[in-house]
Amino acid sequence: MFGQVLATEFMKLHRAKATWATLAVLAMMPLGIALFMWIVREPGRAAQLGLVGTKASLAGLEATWPEYFYMLTLIFGIGGMLLLAFIVAYLFGREYSDATAKNMLALPVARHWFAVAKLAVAAVWWMALIVLVLAEAMAIGFAMGLPKFSAELAATGLANVLLAASISFLLAPVVAWIAVLSRGEVAPIAFSLVMLALGNLFGRTGWAEWFPYSIVPLLIGMVADPVDTLTAGSYVVLAGTFMAGTTATILQLRFADNAQ
Amino acid sequence: MEETHPATAVSTRALVKRYRDVTAVDSLNLDVRRGEIYGFLGRNGAGKTTTIRMLLGLIRPSGGEVTVLGQRMVPGETNMFSRVGFLVETATAYPNLTVRENLDIQRRLTGSPPGSVEDSITLLRLGPYAGRRAGQLSLGNKQRLSLARALLHSPELLVLDEPANGLDPAGIVEIRDLLRSLAGERGVTVFMSSHILAEVAHLADRIGIIHNGRLIEESSREDLAAKARSFAADAYTPEEREQALLTLDLERYFLARTGEAAKGPVA
Repeated sequence: MFGQVLATEFMKLHRAKATWATLAVLAMMPLGIALFMWIVREPGRAAQLGLVGTKASLAGLEATWPEYFYMLTLIFGIGGMLLLAFIVAYLFGREYSDATAKNMLALPVARHWFAVAKLAVAAVWWMALIVLVLAEAMAIGFAMGLPKFSAELAATGLANVLLAASISFLLAPVVAWIAVLSRGEVAPIAFSLVMLALGNLFGRTGWAEWFPYSIVPLLIGMVADPVDTLTAGSYVVLAGTFMAGTTATILQLRFADNAQ
Repeated sequence: MEETHPATAVSTRALVKRYRDVTAVDSLNLDVRRGEIYGFLGRNGAGKTTTIRMLLGLIRPSGGEVTVLGQRMVPGETNMFSRVGFLVETATAYPNLTVRENLDIQRRLTGSPPGSVEDSITLLRLGPYAGRRAGQLSLGNKQRLSLARALLHSPELLVLDEPANGLDPAGIVEIRDLLRSLAGERGVTVFMSSHILAEVAHLADRIGIIHNGRLIEESSREDLAAKARSFAADAYTPEEREQALLTLDLERYFLARTGEAAKGPVA
């Protein structure tokens, strides 16, 4: 039965504008970084075009592959966390905003399969976006002719982006639970914004590796110098967050009142 | 699973639902017999939809118990829904999917055969709209889609909350005929709620009236009609009776002018 549930969850995305919207938003990120790099590389021409070359040169960045990968990781990590929250909020919350949850929950299908299938769809959607936009980013980097490229650098850079994206996914079930609990899409997105701010705050304290929403900022170097590896404690916190969020979502669907 | 009397399709015992200090359903005892059409009548806010949500396991009772098709409802238990079709309150569907795609989701999740989608489209006369997105349908056609979804897997029990919502008079007659044939020819039990007596008066074998969460009356259609006639004889002036007859005549004329659904009885 899980196969049918999964298939129908993918069917529900037919013609959904949200899929294209998330692709468009994420695809803008490498373009934005590329523009920034171009401004750094050619501040005179950028100033002629009315772009703020001074600010870009003050940032102290270089238009090189290492900087490009660093920026990609940073933007995929933080922007990606928010985008993933939107995806999960959409998948779970739309059942309430479209008032279809009541139809879904009174079917001869164990309710936990819907939670599992929606998280699986979110994972596939998320990874498809990452792969597509990474391909775009690489193409842009080569098209710009950025210096200091090496295969080792590319492997490390891509691995960092994928690690940050995967870790972000471990936080997704909590967003799903908030969507089911609040019966909509707004609360989980608001929750993610607040957690992002808190993660930034905690990330500057000694608690960073223990607060789930600080771990991605810590990994990508948003709140301090990027760390090479996370501590075992951080992985335990992330795994615990994933398990807690998944369990809470399933229990909410199974046992709570599901009025709309 | 606890078994109840095999002739009972739906049973509630001392069913209660409280929301903080508000009691939406209060000590409700219902028995819906297999194969009958039961009209569950009540004004807005009387507790009809709350009762239906409890019958479908969408909300948990604060007290009492619900038995559906011989199985006691347990929170999260969903096996019996292969035998139950339902429509709760508003007609809803995935707006980005076509009528056919919406029904295909229902087919897959109920394990119904592939032909059931086209069968239900034909049954509810949704053919001209089958390729149209649900979000672009009129309210009446959304209601038809919801009914098609409810009927797709040939359920033994239909639980319908205000099934005539959004339907025009011809549509109401058509759905009434459909429900009557389902109950009469296929033995489907129909539990339908409404806040309009006329809607259930032509269809239900028995009618229960819920008010402030309590079942205040339950009788056969004939008994209720007799009580109503006796009450109305005292309560209405000749002018009011004439007005009511005029309304019926106008509706009959309208149906006669607007389609074959007019063949059925007129509310």
